[in-house]
Amino acid sequence: MKLEINNVSKRYTRKKYGVQNFSLTVEKGILGLLGPNGAGKSTLMKMIATVNKPTEGIILLNKNNIVKDANYMREQLGFLPQDFGVYPNLNAFEFLQYIAAIKGVGGSGLKDRIEKLLEGLNLIDAASKPIGSYSGGMKQRVGIAQTLLNNPKIIIFDEPTVGLDPEERVRFRNLISDLASQSIVILSSHIVSDIDMIADTVAIMKNGTLITQGNRQDIIDHVEGKVFEIKIEDEAVSEFKNQVTTLSTARYKGKTTIRYISDTAMSNSRPQKATLEDAYLYLTKN
Amino acid sequence: MRSFLTIIKLDYLTRIRSYSFLITLCATLAISYTFVPEPNASYSTIRIGDYVGNYNSAWFGYVTAMMSSVFLSLIGFYLVNNSIQKDVKTKVGQILATTRIKNFSYLLSRVFSNFLVLITIVCITFLMSILLFILYNDGFDFEILQFVKPYVIIALPAIFWISVLAVLFEVIIGRYTVIQNILFFVLFSFFLLFSSQDKMKYNLDVFGNKIVMNAMEESVRKLLPAHKTSKMTIGYVLGNTTKAKKFNFEGIDFPSSFIASRLGWIFFGVLLIAIVTPFFHRFNTKERTSSTKTKQHIVSSFGSREVILSQLPKPQIDQSILPLIKTELFLLIRKGNKWLWMVNAIGMILLAFLNIEVAHQMVLPILWFLQVHRLSDLTTKELENDVFYFTFSAFRPLRRILISQIIAGVILMIGLAFPLLFLYGCLLDINALMFILLGAIFIVFLALFLGIFTQTKKLFEILFFFITYANINKIPVFDYFGGISPNRMQILYVSALVIGFGTMSFLKRRSDLRR
Repeated sequence: MKLEINNVSKRYTRKKYGVQNFSLTVEKGILGLLGPNGAGKSTLMKMIATVNKPTEGIILLNKNNIVKDANYMREQLGFLPQDFGVYPNLNAFEFLQYIAAIKGVGGSGLKDRIEKLLEGLNLIDAASKPIGSYSGGMKQRVGIAQTLLNNPKIIIFDEPTVGLDPEERVRFRNLISDLASQSIVILSSHIVSDIDMIADTVAIMKNGTLITQGNRQDIIDHVEGKVFEIKIEDEAVSEFKNQVTTLSTARYKGKTTIRYISDTAMSNSRPQKATLEDAYLYLTKN
Repeated sequence: MRSFLTIIKLDYLTRIRSYSFLITLCATLAISYTFVPEPNASYSTIRIGDYVGNYNSAWFGYVTAMMSSVFLSLIGFYLVNNSIQKDVKTKVGQILATTRIKNFSYLLSRVFSNFLVLITIVCITFLMSILLFILYNDGFDFEILQFVKPYVIIALPAIFWISVLAVLFEVIIGRYTVIQNILFFVLFSFFLLFSSQDKMKYNLDVFGNKIVMNAMEESVRKLLPAHKTSKMTIGYVLGNTTKAKKFNFEGIDFPSSFIASRLGWIFFGVLLIAIVTPFFHRFNTKERTSSTKTKQHIVSSFGSREVILSQLPKPQIDQSILPLIKTELFLLIRKGNKWLWMVNAIGMILLAFLNIEVAHQMVLPILWFLQVHRLSDLTTKELENDVFYFTFSAFRPLRRILISQIIAGVILMIGLAFPLLFLYGCLLDINALMFILLGAIFIVFLALFLGIFTQTKKLFEILFFFITYANINKIPVFDYFGGISPNRMQILYVSALVIGFGTMSFLKRRSDLRR
């Protein structure tokens, strides 16, 4: 199982690109996509999912060009879009049957597979109720269930943890880890900790381009030894912020603790262990 | 005041900046082109007995203004009766609800933005009337006032009243679109019938046409012998090919009482808005919904269960479209209120027990029209419900999903017409059977075509309404189901349209999918 993205661009107007010259190779495991809003993560995922076509470049799945042969990808794809909807008049069981039919999946085991998915996602009790009456988290779980209907070999989750509560996020992360043992999982999220915990490879995007990629430690290495923390008076905060790249601030009893990044430490600063979030903020701010 | 105007302006802009509005304007151009028939045309729009007016400025100005007043009132309502619903759907309403805007100001702003949308359409017919005057030039002088006066005094107050009615209906019965549509049609027919009464006073005619009709009839009466009378007809009359005689119509000087009455209609509209303001939900719609027990909000967490991938049965490849047809049928059947199926059942009983001609001519088109809300989003529901990511990235979406949507739509329409089909089957009337089947296919393909090209359901809803209205009025050219003129030419003509709609829809959807 190998996904190759070669010099892929999505151009909207002559000068405006959603994604520009993006190249990446992914093999079995979890690829975490990080980037600020408008970085091009969703656009890239939609191109991989064959919803959009790239204006330049090719995407190969096991050496098959999926830009030309979208059905090759679709047969083995599970895709959870960021802002997907449902037909509110159908119940969860019917909706999943519909999506299965759309995907060209059926047979005698389908009913059982849907029931097991609904059970595993704790939707079985509400399965006969119209989806229009579901809470946001339940709809998101219906979305997760539909990605798994066809035993996908490549799974794309665009912001999957939106609407899930902390406990649901943990269970979802476990599920993704399970999936990654036999598939390629591409996962985008604003929540760096979600990616930090489960991604085998991390790619950071900004303005439609790939800034960096590698395993978790490769990314953190960009800022290793450059992260510091300092406690200063409130009045001095704005002046201090002008001198360094600030990662975070916290105010307590008239003093402000600033976590910042710099090649050299300012006086009274303490060095800190760098995290993926520090690296992400540093790379996307600069 | 400034914020009030800004709200109107921005709402107006959001509504006209859409592809569907552009299509509406194009359709208006095409329809307004027919308001004054070409001198050798085989139809008439306004005719007094055997007479039509000389093609001077007054005739063009008054005829197009009167036609706009009637037809835009009818179609315009369906075009603008979702201004509050749009704010509910986009959830902008929830933000508006937390601002200081008063309910009355908000509702009035929606009336004015409706009014501006309709004025834009009226402007198109106004420009077309001038263009037609130039095209069919009969040697008369161009007098701009003869164009402006009837539009300002007749058409504008009429469409303002329609803008008021649209908001009024949304406030009172906003959740029941079908009831809104039916009630409006009843009200419109009542207004139209009322304005044709001889004894009715001009001031009570909301369309403002009565005074002009009388003036035209009076002009013709002077040309006729004393014993002869001639009634005016307004609307499309086909096959009216006898050479019309001409009379001169120079417009009218509207009495000040009439002008005051037109202003009175506007003030009455504003007053009605003030009266219904206390009933406006101010976007507190969920609370109202829950109190009716129709929706139950279910919440459950992930729980302690987990999906164990190794225990899931292996899926098999199955490219049959039967499950898709089944779901599409479910979606069609479950759309809208359940009581509408009671109405459908009554319609089917009438089809079975009424005189077969009446059932075919009158009941069938109305019964099919009652499905307008089911069919209108046949191909747009993916976009409306944000399900298109799934359907557009599906396995062979064009061949499987689109075809299943067509089949489901046709099954529904044929199912509703079944009693009539059964009766014709017993009578071995193959022609009627074929025509009804073709009619079912035609309407589904029309919904398909307009949905795919406009990506909204509005145009289909308006056009289907217009076609049904024309069929109830027995205009043969709109007979798509063989109820009025079941001849072979008509079958060929409807079949050609079906093939055309189908081909263009498939090509457009294919190009959409490729993009």
